Amino acid sequence: MTIQVTFWSYFAELAGCSETVVTVSESTPVDGLLAALYQAHPALAELRRSTLIAVGVEYQDGEYVLKAGDHVSLFPPVQGG
Amino acid sequence: MKRFLSITRDPIDEAGLVADRTLSSGMGAAVYFSGVVRGQEGSDAIVALDYSCFVSMAEHQFHRLFDRLAERGSVESVRLVHRIGRVAVGESSLWIEVVSAHRAGAFAACQWVIDEMKQVVPIWKTPVTAANASSPSNPNPTA
Repeated sequence: MTIQVTFWSYFAELAGCSETVVTVSESTPVDGLLAALYQAHPALAELRRSTLIAVGVEYQDGEYVLKAGDHVSLFPPVQGG
Repeated sequence: MKRFLSITRDPIDEAGLVADRTLSSGMGAAVYFSGVVRGQEGSDAIVALDYSCFVSMAEHQFHRLFDRLAERGSVESVRLVHRIGRVAVGESSLWIEVVSAHRAGAFAACQWVIDEMKQVVPIWKTPVTAANASSPSNPNPTA
């Protein structure tokens, strides 16, 4: 299945794009998706410890099992205000 | 609990917001906070901040905060406006008002929303200096 991924804030610059599509097998957790993304975009891997992950509009962790149609967002710590 | 949320590229009309305030007879405190862009970010002089935002998630996360605020029970209304895009030094990027029965509850609720917002609402800021002021504001086309 394919998963749409959006990189927000300066993560888009580090990735070299603001969006990408990744093909993963059924029942892949977010951690599996991240492994593929870090291989394709190594600059993001250096920030993995501070990376925030959302599926849709909810925060999720690496154990979340992806479903077809999920839209994953990766971004740095937020800075509103 | 009444709520109003706006994430906008337009300047924040603080006077208009204050003029539109409503509160019931049992309410004795209206506390509002205006966050203004400073002329320095760390040790660097800046002319503006570029705010980018994952709008649909930001709206969702703000409303989750408002839901939690409502559960606290003492707030009659909350209104919050967050500006995105380029905000010049001296302009307001955030305006929030809490109406409650008493001063302590209103101040505490206002502070709580801001503190929580800074943890969960996906908004980011990029300093703009005089040297890079002509650069594009952010890499996310929807922000």
